[in-house]
Formats: sequence, C-alpha cells, structure tokens
Amino acid sequence: MKWGLPALAALLLFYPFIFTGPFYWDIGVAFLLAAISASAWNIVGGYAGQVSVGHSMFFGVGAYTPLLFYQLWGLPPVAGVPAGMLVSLCLALAIGMPTFRLRGHYFSMATIAVAELIRIFVGTWELVGAAIGLQGPAVGRAWWDLMFRSELPYYYIFLAVLAVVLYTTFEVERSRFGYYLRAIKAGERAARSLGVPVRATKLKALMLSALFTSVAGSLYSIKTGFVDPESGFGILVSVQMVIVAALGGAGTLFGPLIGALILVPLQTATNTWFGGGGSGLTYILYGGIIVLLARFEPGGMHEWWQRVAPRLMRRWHAA
Amino acid sequence: MLLAQVIVGGLLLGAIYALFSSGLTLIWGMMNFINFAHGEFVMLGMYVALLVAVWLGGGPGAFGFAAAFSLFVLGVVVYISLIRHVMRGPMLAQILSTFGLALLLRYTAFWIFSANFVSLPQVSLSGTVNVAGILMPVPQLVAGVAAIVLTFALHLLLTRTTVGSQLLAVAEDRNAAMLMGIRPDRMQALAWGLAAGSAGIAGALMALSYPWSPSVGETFGLTAFVVVTLGGFGSVPGAMYAGLIIGLIQTLSAYWFGPIYKDIVVYALFAALLWLRPQGLMGKA
Amino acid sequence: MLLSAHNISKAFGSFLAVRDADLTVAEGEIIGLIGPNGAGKSTFFNCLAGDTAPTTGRVLFDGIDVTRSSAEAHARAGIGRTFQVPATFEDMTVLENVMVGAFLRHHHRGAARETALRIIEMTGLARQTAQRARSLGTPGRKRLEIARVLATEPRLMLLDEALAGLTPTELQQAIALVRRIHELGVTLVIVEHIMEVIMTLAQRVLVFNQGHVHGKPHEIVANEMVIEAYLGRGHRRRGETP
Repeated sequence: MKWGLPALAALLLFYPFIFTGPFYWDIGVAFLLAAISASAWNIVGGYAGQVSVGHSMFFGVGAYTPLLFYQLWGLPPVAGVPAGMLVSLCLALAIGMPTFRLRGHYFSMATIAVAELIRIFVGTWELVGAAIGLQGPAVGRAWWDLMFRSELPYYYIFLAVLAVVLYTTFEVERSRFGYYLRAIKAGERAARSLGVPVRATKLKALMLSALFTSVAGSLYSIKTGFVDPESGFGILVSVQMVIVAALGGAGTLFGPLIGALILVPLQTATNTWFGGGGSGLTYILYGGIIVLLARFEPGGMHEWWQRVAPRLMRRWHAA
Repeated sequence: MLLAQVIVGGLLLGAIYALFSSGLTLIWGMMNFINFAHGEFVMLGMYVALLVAVWLGGGPGAFGFAAAFSLFVLGVVVYISLIRHVMRGPMLAQILSTFGLALLLRYTAFWIFSANFVSLPQVSLSGTVNVAGILMPVPQLVAGVAAIVLTFALHLLLTRTTVGSQLLAVAEDRNAAMLMGIRPDRMQALAWGLAAGSAGIAGALMALSYPWSPSVGETFGLTAFVVVTLGGFGSVPGAMYAGLIIGLIQTLSAYWFGPIYKDIVVYALFAALLWLRPQGLMGKA
Repeated sequence: MLLSAHNISKAFGSFLAVRDADLTVAEGEIIGLIGPNGAGKSTFFNCLAGDTAPTTGRVLFDGIDVTRSSAEAHARAGIGRTFQVPATFEDMTVLENVMVGAFLRHHHRGAARETALRIIEMTGLARQTAQRARSLGTPGRKRLEIARVLATEPRLMLLDEALAGLTPTELQQAIALVRRIHELGVTLVIVEHIMEVIMTLAQRVLVFNQGHVHGKPHEIVANEMVIEAYLGRGHRRRGETP
C-alpha cells in the first residue's frame, strides 16, 4: 500500500480537473462531506465501539450556528463555526457523562432520543427559524462569506477539512488514546483491569467526534446556504453517517472513505432512477444494506477485503 | 372535570404503551438486546388492522387477532433469520441489525402506504360513554381496557405458566436453564414472537382511536425506550406502571403546554432518567 | 502485608457467593487458592481486583483502602489479574494487546512498544507477535493475558486458573514462567485445580469452599487433612515418599 496513499491524495487533489463540470464537482463535494461526517462518527462509533445513532445532533448544531450568527448579527457564517463546536462539545458531555457509566444500549438509545428531542424543539423555536429553518446570505458580501458560485472552492475547503480529520484519526490510532479506544471496544472489562480509564476515554472520543461532526454540519450549511430541522437534525443524517462508516469498515482509517465512495454515487444514481419518490426507495435500500451488513459482514468492505484478498492473491500466484 | 378526562385519557393511552413496552423489556431482560425496530412492529400492527378492516371488513376482534398473529410470526422470523446470528457478534452489528430493520420496515411502509395519515373506517365501536361525569370515547375506553387486560395476561403467562417460567429461567441464567433441559434458542424465538405480537395488537388497539402514518413507528419506539427505562431493565410489571405514568405525563403535557410538547416532555424525561435514576422504578441497571 | 482482605462477603440478591473471607499476603509470597468449582473463588478475586465491590469487608493494598476503588484504580495501584475465561482483545495482535497493558506506565508509544516486546520475549510469545489474538489457541491466549497484565508492572498478580488446559510440556513452561515473574518481585495469588502447580509453586495454600476460606491463613504448610478432604487421597507433595 506504499504507493496507495500518494495515489489517493493525487486523485482527490486533481479530481475536479479530471472530471470537470458542475455535475461531477457536485458529487465530489457530496463525497467529501459524507467522508468527513462518517470519519467523525467513526472515532466514537467505529474505534471505541460506542454506537451513536443520533449523531445528527452534532451535525445540526454545527449547521445551525453559522446561519444563526448571520441571521441574528449579520456576521459571516464562518464566525459561527467555533460556537457550533463549543455547543457540540457541551452536548457530548451532557450525553456521555450519564450514559457511559451504564451499559452500551443506554448510550445508543440516548443518542436517538436526544437527537429527536432537539429536532422537534428546534422545529418549534422561532429564534432559530422554527419549521422553516435558516438561510445564509443570498449573495456573498465579501470573500469571507464563502458564497461561491462554483463548487470548486468548496471542494478544496472540504478536502482540506477531510485531510485534517483523517490525519487526526491517524494520530489517534497510533497513540495511547487510540489503543485504549480499541481495547474498550474489544473488551471493556479486560480494559478496566489493565488500568484503562474507560469512562473518561469514551467521553474524550465522543467529544472529539462531536467536534468534527459539528464542523461537517457547518460546512454543509455554509455551502448550501440553508438549513432546517430535517436537514440538520433529521434521523437520515445520522443514518448516512453510520452506514457510510460501517459499509467501508467501522474502526478503520479509510473505511469511511470507501463507504462514501460506494454510497454517494449509489445515492446519486438511485435518486436519478427513482425520481421524485426516490428518497423513499433510497432509504429502503439503506435499511436493507445496514441489515445485510450487520448480518453478514459487520466489518464492512475492509473486513471483506481482508478475507478475500489472500485467496485472490493465491489464485493469482498459482495461475 | 376536563382535567379528570385528561387523566383518564392518559391512563388509557398509557395502558397501550404498557402493552407494547412489555415485549421490549422482556427481550432486553432476556437477551440483553434492545430492539430498535420495536416501534415499527406497533406501526405494522396498525396497518394490518387497517387492511383487515378494509379488505375483509373485519371487526375489532378480527383485526386485533390478525395483528397479533402476523406480528408474532414476524417476530419469530426476525429472530431466526437475523437476531440469532448477530447476538454472537460485535455490538455494532447488534445495534445496526434492528436499526436497519426499523428503516427497512418504516420506508417500505412509506412506499406502500404513502406518508398520508390514515385511520380505520367507521367501526362498530363509536360514540362516547359517560362514566361519573367523565366523557370517554368508546374506542379509547375499549382499547385501554383491552391493553390492561392483555398486559396483565402477559405477566401471568410469564409468572404462572410453565412456558413462562422457562422464559424467565433463560433470562435469569442461560447456562443453568440449558442444564435443566430448556432450549434457550426456542425460548428466545418465543419471546420475540410474544414481544412482536403484543406490539402488533397494541398497534391495532391504538388504531381504534388515533390516525397514523408510517412515521409513528419512530415515536412509539422512543416511547417504548422511555417506558422500559423508567420501568427498569427487564421488568414487565415495571413496564406496566411506567407505561401508565408516561401516558399520563403525555396527556397532561399536551393539556398544559400544548400538543407540540407531548413528545418533547417524554424525551426530556428520558434524559433526566439517564442522569438521575437509570435503573428506573423496579429494575437493576 | 501487601494485601489484606478482611471479612469479605459478596451477595447477589439473596445468594451469598463469598462469605466472610479473609486473605493476607505478604510481599514476595506465592499463595495458592484451591477449592471446588462454584466455591466463589473468581467472585472473591473480583472483589480483590475492584471488578466488583464487596457487600461487606475491607481490602487494603499496601496500607491503602481500595475496597470501593474502581478496577482501573486497582490496576494503577499495582494489582493485576487474569480472567478464568481468557479475555484477550481478539481482533488486536499480540503486540497490540500487550501494549495496552504497557501504556499504563509508559504513555509514549515508543516506550510502550519496547516494554511490550521485552515482555513478549520473556513470556515466549515472540513468534506470534504480529498475530491476532483470536488465532492463538486457549493456552496462547492465557499466556497472552499474563503477558498483558505483566506489562502493567503489577506488584500483585491474581491468576485465575491461568494454567488450566495445558499439555504437560506447556505446563512446565508455564510454571517456569510464573517462577520468572515471581523472581521479578511480583507477589502472586494463584487459583488452580492442578495440584502440581500448587505443590511446586505455592508457599501457602488456602482452601476456598462455599464462599469461605477454611483453615487459619497463617498455617505455613497445607494441612494434610485438608488436602485429603478436597483433593482425595493419593496426592503427594513433591519429594514425599508414600
């Protein structure tokens, strides 16, 4: 895989010039956003094994705050990004602290419940646009409003963020923190007996994950210039994060990328085929994929490849 | 008087919550497994009731039975084809399995039935009854009473019959149960059938009084989580009391704060429970 | 006294798994704990290791009361334990498993790795360093557990049937390993059913039955009657003539 990483980097870097035009750039941006969100989820859901099915709460917070800063105070949306991160951190603490001292299911249930709670609540709160949502600037007043007419600048901004998320995950993987995360996933009781501070480690993982997810949400709302309770806090946001990470291989560095690589084009295709009623069928498909993954290959494509590759290699060598 | 009506309405609603939550807590206590698709079982029960009422012109008894039976079968099938396998695997697979199933069922229902709210055609149960000055719609009254009876029946089944004690034995100690000649696999399949079946019939009862769409599954699922947490892990009696309490809280919230808040209050209660008393009323965390 | 546990009881509902058990261990000792299955030995270990809080009693480690401390705190203080059913991190390699242990005392990856490799060498797992734990057999896993907990640099190690299910050769190797660990200065409490292990390694033997420790803890040598009662006639300690 030595040549793999530079090749991947080059491909991502030059993609917009290989596949030109708004259609491909749009898919590229969607791919990057999916990869960022899923990589963020991966830290707590994949590595630490704490399955959050309500991560949209962090995404939504990150999506709302920039547009809120714009709507309330006329500030460039980017100014709201740190605030979103801070709120997400606090949310992560609020959820993690009680649930991480209980068994795993409580955490998962809590994530759905709180995500729904926030979604419904935001839908009734006038200050943040209630059911209608928030809008960003229609036209950029200056460059820092980040209202570009072309997808291209967004592509590179998103790519930079993805690089940061992946690099952070890479460093985490090699560190004491990363080993502790994996130990917790592999066997909490044994991890405890070795001195791993389980609760604190899980909290840190959730907070780091929440931070990045929040940034992903901010990227989304800044680019689209719009957010409402459904697109920010909806369950489908959570689902997409989970399925992208799990499909590629939860708990691996490039799993989310692989998952995004498969799922984003697939989603674009099904939306085109199934047309207007497409979203319903797309989610039937998602549900089906998740069930099949859980039943047959919970380790995702990564694990599947690890099983299949040696056999393929043997056959190739034998031929 | 209006308040009394709200209270009674809440208890009747809560009875239905108790009924479908009992199944969830049974599974949880027995297999340490949370079914994220439980709300969808209730939702499907409602649609089965609709289909039987519309196509076969069946009355409440007919579609109640149909809902219970079809969901019982579904529960067993889900256990055998999916759950039994993921139980032995990683936590991610366990949670994703029923979560994915929920999506599958929900969006298939959206596709087949559309997102429009529907309700049962005018059935024999209609009108209101005046009991001690409190006006109660007959469908709600019948549904509530039936739910209480069925929940109690489930409780008796578990505690007073041989099959029931076998189920509880597996819940208590799988290995010991095996040594006594009980087959855990069969008992677990049965538990899934019972849980799904009770969810289904609860749905049919709910359908008597409330309109619905495929989206209600998600809400019911979350409600079930709250009831089960409040009632305590694995405790069917706990689920009974908790169901009534949650139903009451919902109707009171709607009455005092407005209908929008009925779900918010329940979810907020859930968050508070996790912080303050996760073992609930009668269980052990 | 490195470890002293007094009056330890553990109740599960109405069932008393451990009943008023005492144990004192001086630094540098090897104590053997024998008794029939289901007698409560593992539960007792869980109480000593902080895995579960005892219903009654106190556990003092090096003078500090650790009765209600968490398992993590116990490990940090220097109490390590293995599990009756090996709980290795299946999808992680042997090296990664041991590194998790090493990270307790060495926060940097390099130092942790070095320590881990050293211990892997010492415990005879060098050839499987890069293998996943799940590909090792049960004896391998037990050895890995020992290596992993050794990497936490414990002062006291609680071994729960760590030598069960081994072939005679493996058993001799394992006994030698335990001796080497002891020579490093680690105090040991060993639960075993294999008499050879107890006889060759243990300086003192305590009998655990029905949740209770029988016999005065200060008996220097295992009582003949006790051995006979619990292990049957015909067991001889090494070097004894019939």
